[in-house]
Amino acid sequence: MTENIVKYPPRGRTRAVKRFLGQFLRDRGAQVGLVCLVFFLIVAAMPNMLVGPLQTAINATGDFLAPPSGQHLLGTDEVGRDVLNLIVHGARISLTIALLATVISLVVGSTVGMASGYFGGWVDTWLMRITDFFFVMPSFVLALIITPVVLEVMGRSGYILGFRLSLFVIITVIGMTSWSFVARIVRSQTLSIKERTFIDRARVVGSSNLSIMVRHILPNLVPQIAANGALVVAGAIYIETSLSFLGLGDPLQPSWGTLLSLAQRAGAASAGAWWYLGAPGVCALMVSLSFVLIGNALDDTFNPRRRAIP
Amino acid sequence: MAGQASRNFMSRRLGLALIRAIVTLLIVATLNFILFRVIPGDPANMLLAGARSSVTAEQIEAQRQNWGLDRPLFPDQVVDYLWASLHGDLGYSFKFRGRQVADLIFERLPATIALVGLAQIIAILGGVMLGLYAGWRRGGAIDNIATVSSLALYSTPAFWLAMLLIVTFSTVSGWLPGYGAYSPSASIASVDRLLDYLKHLALPVAAVALGLIGQYVVVARAAMSEVVTEDYMVTARAKGLTHRQMLMHHACRNAMLPVVTLITLNLGYVVAGAITVEAVFAWPGIGGLTVEALNARDYPVLQGIFLLLGASIVAANLLADLAYGILDPRVR
Repeated sequence: MTENIVKYPPRGRTRAVKRFLGQFLRDRGAQVGLVCLVFFLIVAAMPNMLVGPLQTAINATGDFLAPPSGQHLLGTDEVGRDVLNLIVHGARISLTIALLATVISLVVGSTVGMASGYFGGWVDTWLMRITDFFFVMPSFVLALIITPVVLEVMGRSGYILGFRLSLFVIITVIGMTSWSFVARIVRSQTLSIKERTFIDRARVVGSSNLSIMVRHILPNLVPQIAANGALVVAGAIYIETSLSFLGLGDPLQPSWGTLLSLAQRAGAASAGAWWYLGAPGVCALMVSLSFVLIGNALDDTFNPRRRAIP
Repeated sequence: MAGQASRNFMSRRLGLALIRAIVTLLIVATLNFILFRVIPGDPANMLLAGARSSVTAEQIEAQRQNWGLDRPLFPDQVVDYLWASLHGDLGYSFKFRGRQVADLIFERLPATIALVGLAQIIAILGGVMLGLYAGWRRGGAIDNIATVSSLALYSTPAFWLAMLLIVTFSTVSGWLPGYGAYSPSASIASVDRLLDYLKHLALPVAAVALGLIGQYVVVARAAMSEVVTEDYMVTARAKGLTHRQMLMHHACRNAMLPVVTLITLNLGYVVAGAITVEAVFAWPGIGGLTVEALNARDYPVLQGIFLLLGASIVAANLLADLAYGILDPRVR
């Protein structure tokens, strides 16, 4: 069975991957994006080792809204918490929300797109109707109305895997509302892939629809899914930051958006506390920018349609 | 004959777009209805909650009948709700007791339109031209600067930009006000008042416009750099046209297509995007209302805003479809 599906001989596949990596890593944007991303992933992986446990109003050490100094490299907030401590812990929360939301949206988007393109007919018609709705309505607008209601229904307290329930609500809502773009692209790719000979061959051998989709079509969709996945993460960060800024985040596990919301409520802008509102914003900007750069570089590498300029 | 056929085709296209728009709006309204009813607790209990101790069960039951809550959810209540929404009856606000949601929204709409409209005009003038030029001179100094800064602007949350603008131009330098729409001391004299309003408008407009500029530069540049590789540009050059003629007659017209589509689509989206910016400046528009409603869990107002955003997005999509049909001769 497996012999039938391998398209490249093993060495050829390794070479293809190597060539891809070589071209991808030569892109300046990809380099910047990857370095930046690795930095934030390391920070998010071990916040306790880097800056100690998350400070609260009770164990805060500094003055109120103190500017950066040797002791507090990024100053303090309105209750005396160290801003560096807050944004390092915020990195873990923001990145978790963005990445998990992206996983959900990629799974939903690929499933819907693949089923739609593969089965065609009324399945296609109805799935695309639904996709159209989510395509037209921006994820932020949908999340803005759905999140408060779901929070009201589920409650904010309770923990799942060490994260507050309200964060899971945000993750799910963002994931379930931002998949339409992926679904459209996956569908159009599936439409062309399913006409290829190797799909017919698999069908003749007696593979089921599910196994054709998972084993033969899905591997060929990886480039599109990866390139768009990076852009979905950037979008998810934007939406999460905006929602949390409007007060839908969780103050007990503050993401960067929640920190910005706290800064706004404390009047940091009119008090001139640039360190307090600057730090979380710079982090959100850098992470989202590096995902955009990586997404663009992936897209460029997979679509080498770069012709000379006249 | 050909004209007749193409006109038929156009009207069919528009008809389909119109049906799609209506269906989308119906889904938005239905979602509104479902979300509100998912919240635990009966609406009658919720509305009378403040006076629970002094309200008897019979009174609640009477009120339920009065509001039609005793009838089946589907189809009776849904149809009632959709019918009322269609007539502009969006119910009453929780927070602003006794005020109609529709009135609240229409009161706030002009401030948002002023903010978003002005920002849109500035972004179109600045962003599109810069993007087209950057795409035309790909790899040049201006292109490099424009690409990097527009990508950065594109990934920056607009409300954070707004906070930075306040710190720089309001708190530190004191040039412009960073809060509200009018100074408390402003006189009633019309010219002074207008100037005061414009001063307050400056920073919010800048924040929204900068975000839009990032988007327009990215798209206009991509469109233009696609166009310059097309065969007809080679033909144009072979005909001996000057750069200026090539740019004006061939490149710009073709590159404008995706840009115009984006601009029209944005007409619907920017209202939503401006919500967070308005929250930063306490701008008395739809965004300010959204934040107040979110904090007070004022669901009727949130529903009304959702309907408004949905309607503006759907309308913008319809407009984009129309514009595309007019601009692209291949669709005609």
